[in-house]
Amino acid sequence: MSDAVLHGATLPARLPRVDYNEAVVRKFMIAAMFWAVVAFCVGCYLAAEMSWPAFNLGYEFTNFGRLRPVHTSAAIFAFGGSMLFGTAMYVVQRTCRARLFGGSALADFIFWGYQFFIVMAALSYVMGFSKSREYAEPEWHLDLWLTLIWVLFAVVFIGTLIKRAEPHIYVANWFYLAFILTVAVLHLGNNLTVPVSFWGAKSYALFSGTQDAMIQWWYGHNAVGFFLTAGFLGMMYYFIPKAANRPVYSYRLSIFHFWSLIFLYIWAGPHHLEYTALPDWTQTLGMAFSIMLWMPSWGGMINGLMTLSGAWDKLRTDPGLRFSVTAVGFYGMSTFEGPVMSIRPVNALSHYTDWGIGHVHSGSLGWVAFISFGALYYLIPVLWGRERMYSVKLISWHYWIATLGIVFYITSMWVAGIMEGLMWRAYDSQGFLQYSFIESIAAVHPFLVIRLVGGLCFLTGALLMAFNMIMTIIGPRPALNAMPQAAFVAGE
Amino acid sequence: MKTETANTVVGICMIPLGLLGLLIASRALDAEMSVFGYGLILFAALFGFSLIKDHYDRLEAAPARMPGADHE
Repeated sequence: MSDAVLHGATLPARLPRVDYNEAVVRKFMIAAMFWAVVAFCVGCYLAAEMSWPAFNLGYEFTNFGRLRPVHTSAAIFAFGGSMLFGTAMYVVQRTCRARLFGGSALADFIFWGYQFFIVMAALSYVMGFSKSREYAEPEWHLDLWLTLIWVLFAVVFIGTLIKRAEPHIYVANWFYLAFILTVAVLHLGNNLTVPVSFWGAKSYALFSGTQDAMIQWWYGHNAVGFFLTAGFLGMMYYFIPKAANRPVYSYRLSIFHFWSLIFLYIWAGPHHLEYTALPDWTQTLGMAFSIMLWMPSWGGMINGLMTLSGAWDKLRTDPGLRFSVTAVGFYGMSTFEGPVMSIRPVNALSHYTDWGIGHVHSGSLGWVAFISFGALYYLIPVLWGRERMYSVKLISWHYWIATLGIVFYITSMWVAGIMEGLMWRAYDSQGFLQYSFIESIAAVHPFLVIRLVGGLCFLTGALLMAFNMIMTIIGPRPALNAMPQAAFVAGE
Repeated sequence: MKTETANTVVGICMIPLGLLGLLIASRALDAEMSVFGYGLILFAALFGFSLIKDHYDRLEAAPARMPGADHE
């Protein structure tokens, strides 16, 4: 199936060969695999620290406060970011039938510059430097460096779109473009800081009080919306049709999905600040727009799942596709749960509890990681010219271990979160709080341990994936006539 | 833009980047800024060398390539 067939168009019988820049995509895929393992390792260590505080070891650089941003940044920006950069560069070339704009050195600079940012950010966290803004912890000089990389990425992506040989811009590119442009605006807005000195790392936010909190959660929520949702939806709209060898179920619905998601998401940030000093009407606005987000989210989920129409049998034989389709299911589930949690009476129970952690991980593990694993299992044989992955059975093992891990993780956090919420609000007959805070911590301890078990399952799956990928990459290259259908399709 | 021209522009940009790293490392007020400065120098130097290596790799590979394969 050619790329144009993704949206139902037809191609001329023979098109000129395009020398795509696949080297940079390969680099991003290897980096994503590496950072996934790092992120999950640190996550498991932090889960152990939460269960048994002795794991803090008494060193400042191993305490939870410093390692937590290492975990979140490694998962979101290093693993997720490498997947987004790599797949965006792959998809835009294939669907535009054009080599990446700007030459190979610029693409390589974007890759190495982004990896440099990640390493520097991680080092700064363990050294104790942080802006203390969730998901925007790097200090001002690293923010400037990331801005440079991001602008160059935008130039390369938009430049490739401009010089495209295809008349139509495929919908996946719209999602990638929204991710690139909106994250640029969010990054610049939320990271407006005043450095203490040009030669020192410390800086202070330009905003203060409630405005500062609102800016932070305008950024924080839309980082979820545009980094972890829009970008990965671009991945969904390309790799599920390709792996299933079916066109998108409804191209019209995908366009509706895009515009409604883009319009609604940007208003939902205030739901992170309910029952705070934020004006009441702003909280209601955030809640209302969160509820409205059900519409595009479920429209997109249905579109992704229905793309499998007539090809459901592939789920039995292609565990990579199973990852992608399960991811879409988790996308639907976590985008249902999020708006429910934004309803103020529910938020009164769920906020500040482990329910939030469970919700975040059903999205990040179930949606973001699974859609990425699906894309990786599709791309690795294609990019390295292999017939298939080294072991299909290992992909299947990865799928079931990771799924089991997610189930352990999110169910334990749901139970722990609701228990915490109920214990914190319980009053006795005389109006005193019934439980001290430490009693709620002791009560959820078993669930924190179950969460660690879930995390270890997910890490084990990722290690199987890394082994499978390394063996695929270093394995023998098949003869040309034995190349896989997918490789011919993608390479045309 | 031709590939070689674009690559040269990126390579030249490594010079001010490395010098900026040198300046930051020399005047850094804290460990984090110092690490960043040294990191920037190392990044610029290694990336510059990798561009030079890639250039000669391409030159060596050029006769083996099929004519008209590069649509840059």
